[in-house]
Amino acid sequence: MTGFYIALIFFVTGMFLVAVTLLFSRLLQTKKPSPDKYLTYECGELPQGGAWIRFNNRFYIIALIFIIFDVEIVFMFPWAVVYGKIGLLAFVEMFIFIVVLLVGLAYVWANGDLQWVKPRPKLEHLPKAKGK
Amino acid sequence: MGLLSLVTFIPVFGALIVLLIPRQNEKAVKIVSAVITFIPFVLATYMWGQFNYTMSGINNEAQFQFVQHFKWIPAYNIEYFIGVDGLSFPMVWLTTLLSFLAIIASWNINKAVKGYFALFLLLETGMLGVFVSLDFFLFYIFWEVMLLPMYFLIGIWGGPRREYAAIKFFLYTLLGSVLMLIVMLALYFNVKDPVTGGHTFNMLLMMDQSNHSGWLLGVDVRLWLYILLFIGFAIKVPIFPFHTWLPDAHVEAPTAISVILAGILLKMGTYGLFRLSYPIFPDVAVKTAYMLAVLGVINILYGAFVAMAQKDLKKMVAYSSVSHMGFVLLGMSTFTDAGMNGALFQMFSHGMITAMLFLLVGVIYDRAHHREIDGFGGLAVKMPIFAGVATLAFFAALGLPGMTGFIAEVMVFIGTFSVYRTLTILAVLGIIVTASYILWTVQRVFLGKLNPKYENISEISGRELFTLVPLGILVILFGIYPIPILNLFRASMTHLINLIP
Amino acid sequence: MTASEILKMMPLIIVLATPLITMLIIALHRNHLTTMIVSVIGLVLAIIAIPYSKALDLTKIGELLIIDNYALFYFLLIFTATIAIIIPSYPYLEMRFKGNREEYYLLILTATLGSSVLAASTHFVSFFLGLEILSVSLYALISYLRQTNEGIEAGLKYLILAAVSSAFLVFGMALIYSQTGKMEFNALMQFFSNSSKLNLISIVGLVLMIVGFGFKLAVVPFHTWSPDVYEGAPAPVSAFIASVSKGGILALLFRFFSQYDVLNSKPLFLIFALLAVFSMFGGNFLALLQTNVKRLLAYSSIAHFGYILVAFLAGNNAQNFKGVEAATFYIVSYFITIIGAFIVVGIFSTREREAMSVSDYRGLYWRHPWLSVAFSAMLFSLAGIPLTAGFIGKYYVLASGIDNQLWTLVIILIVNSALGVYYYLRIVVEMFSQPEEAAETKHPSPSVGVMTGLILAVLTIALIWLGVYPTGVIGAIKISVMGL
Repeated sequence: MTGFYIALIFFVTGMFLVAVTLLFSRLLQTKKPSPDKYLTYECGELPQGGAWIRFNNRFYIIALIFIIFDVEIVFMFPWAVVYGKIGLLAFVEMFIFIVVLLVGLAYVWANGDLQWVKPRPKLEHLPKAKGK
Repeated sequence: MGLLSLVTFIPVFGALIVLLIPRQNEKAVKIVSAVITFIPFVLATYMWGQFNYTMSGINNEAQFQFVQHFKWIPAYNIEYFIGVDGLSFPMVWLTTLLSFLAIIASWNINKAVKGYFALFLLLETGMLGVFVSLDFFLFYIFWEVMLLPMYFLIGIWGGPRREYAAIKFFLYTLLGSVLMLIVMLALYFNVKDPVTGGHTFNMLLMMDQSNHSGWLLGVDVRLWLYILLFIGFAIKVPIFPFHTWLPDAHVEAPTAISVILAGILLKMGTYGLFRLSYPIFPDVAVKTAYMLAVLGVINILYGAFVAMAQKDLKKMVAYSSVSHMGFVLLGMSTFTDAGMNGALFQMFSHGMITAMLFLLVGVIYDRAHHREIDGFGGLAVKMPIFAGVATLAFFAALGLPGMTGFIAEVMVFIGTFSVYRTLTILAVLGIIVTASYILWTVQRVFLGKLNPKYENISEISGRELFTLVPLGILVILFGIYPIPILNLFRASMTHLINLIP
Repeated sequence: MTASEILKMMPLIIVLATPLITMLIIALHRNHLTTMIVSVIGLVLAIIAIPYSKALDLTKIGELLIIDNYALFYFLLIFTATIAIIIPSYPYLEMRFKGNREEYYLLILTATLGSSVLAASTHFVSFFLGLEILSVSLYALISYLRQTNEGIEAGLKYLILAAVSSAFLVFGMALIYSQTGKMEFNALMQFFSNSSKLNLISIVGLVLMIVGFGFKLAVVPFHTWSPDVYEGAPAPVSAFIASVSKGGILALLFRFFSQYDVLNSKPLFLIFALLAVFSMFGGNFLALLQTNVKRLLAYSSIAHFGYILVAFLAGNNAQNFKGVEAATFYIVSYFITIIGAFIVVGIFSTREREAMSVSDYRGLYWRHPWLSVAFSAMLFSLAGIPLTAGFIGKYYVLASGIDNQLWTLVIILIVNSALGVYYYLRIVVEMFSQPEEAAETKHPSPSVGVMTGLILAVLTIALIWLGVYPTGVIGAIKISVMGL
């Protein structure tokens, strides 16, 4: 149980420090609001248009693929640590793991999901809009 | 050996053959079915020749004949155990005979012929199976197997209200089966096989009285089980409050199916009482015998009076069945030699007589396309042969001496009179009512002035006569000389009566 | 991991590899028929691997999986069922869906993988992994026909409720872990059996887990999603949810409690008994009111899982496996019938809609005698009429119930099976009643493909075979359950 208490103390202390910092900054800061200061932070660029626009859902697919390979890296760090102990078997297992992901990549590639400009819209299965 | 299995399963193989015949070839379907149903009849007749009249059966496996006994589903000690004794053999023989005649009577079916004959053959296996099973589980399976083809035969090939009638029949019978299932399972878990020590479905072992006892809600558990089983069978007989499915099913069913329904299926209720209820719960059976006798008399009187009020010929015959089954109940409630044998003989005799009546109704319906009793009149002029056969059947039904109905009723009354005097007198009154409605019907249909509508009605055909004449001959033959049939029963009935405390 | 362990896991590995290979094939050459055939071949190979895997001695694969006879039995059942679902899906998709049809098979295969992992898992982690592989595939499968509103609605409903139930499950697992410090089933149950009385937190944990199970099995009162999902999902997917998905979870439920005597534990017995009773009555009464065949099958499936729970209560632990045996047999018969029934529903669907209304089946016998006979056989089996597998299954359940003197549950079960007959019979009546001439043209008159017809014939024959001679399957089940 002690492990949990340490975690609890750590958590409470962290919260406390954050709260204290925020409180002091609220007390000490000067307030001079201007429209520029209320802009969304976009790494120095000026934001254009509203945030509630419709995104192209190709972003979504790309993001998914990115996350998959991102997670792959997460798995590879612990693998690299124990590689020396396990040896060949670890290599084979990681190989299989990467092959599985590569199959996914090949699938996505062949479906044209990596191309930004999709050449062939297949719409015949969607119900036809009225009036057309 | 294996003769009994052959008799039982030839029809179902026949059903497969029928299914393989091309759809257009309706003639072949009919001929094959007729041949297939004829084989079990021949085999059953041969078995009659081999039958040992001294072997009693009932609760002693060694005393059964044509026995086959294998393991079937060992996980639950379910066995394939069949055999016949004096109780079941007459019914087996009657079933094979009536099935053959009913196939001949179905010659004019013209809708989905293949399906009809295949289902009919399946039905025959179900019926035979019920009569030969000596394992309760097997009995239950056959009992249910019978239900499905019957449901379809009424529901597809029946009259205008066939769907209603079929579903009513199905639900009533299913209720009965569910009750039977409960009894079956309760017995299974109470009965031990003395050899293996495991539970068993063997009916004969269930008859060992030391096997089951107990109390449930302050009442002997045996009484509970007896009542549940009794209701299950009562629906089939049908006994008075459970009879309402019968007129609907009979009126809507095609002729041949009515024949089977009245000739065989109704007997299964009383057969079940004889085969299961009496030997398994003899003490309870004795205690409740008076109730059974009262129900029997109610059936006799109620059936007769309602039959008298009917305008529809087929409905009249259906209610007459209710009335006649009452005699079986009355006879079996006495536990006397005469009464019990009389009850069995009534089952056998009514099977033939009612089959004739339904066949006759079918003949007339095929020509006139209605069954209003008052819509006919003077048919004897145009159809003398038909009228002759019909009069014979009707007289057999009202118990004219010289025919089987008379013998059965007299035996029942001899048995009953010493036991329940008042009830016997009431039941005899039932005979008078029966005589009056039958004579009144004969008069309205066959005598009097010829209804001009039926100026051109055709005489009964050779095929129809072929279905009726054998039954007519048997009714008279066994009416004059009933010994062959009574000999079949004797040993088994004596043994059964000895079992009753 | 040793070589023999890999061999032992071969059926699972093949089922894992099949979607990958299928995916590659789609990438190289997109063709519906090829995809279907490759998936079937993969599943057949997995089935072939089962006896080899059985021959190997070891069972435990690490902490997470156990591949014993019980798991292999369920593998066989699940793979066979999936083949029976995949093949009729081909004409169904050809007719009803215009988009990319190939991914359907990927999803079915991954779902199958999830379900079989469930049957083999002995640890919370593998349990949860299997469950999520199954559920995530199902989200997409249910709304696969994305041009229909019902499909999307059904998919969303399943997504939300499955996520909620997973949350319950995980929370329950966490509570149990907090009390026992164990995640491995046998160790857990030993812990529970040894502690004379369960403390509150463990009971809450178990109850939360049972809630999760309840959602997945769709037992009353956690059933509300199932009719909508069955109705909105494509017919083969409904068959999959009703059979493979629920079967895997049930297999896991049996294994989870296999070292714990539920019958003699007051709170758990009460919970399961209530679930069973509610499901039987709820399922059957709601089905009585239905005129939509798919919803009717959904409600009836709820009732059937009530029956299975009765069997589960009647003997689930090492001292007495009769109940699990009965339930497993019931599942086998239920798989056959429900898949067959949904195949028939799929066959009768047209481009525009599925044949859902009972009246769509009016007079079927006069147009498609064989099809209607097969469908009637399925319905009779669901109703528990003798000579069908359903009867033996129901009998088996009843017998195990009576054996343990669960009289109340048994009587309720009998009453309910009588209720059930009525609504199954209603469909049969419709099929065999003669149609009016005018209405004749209105009905869809589909053509049954050779393969679909074959599958349906095999299912029907299996149904009757199990009803007449169940000894072989009962023996196999006895052996597989013994090792639990």
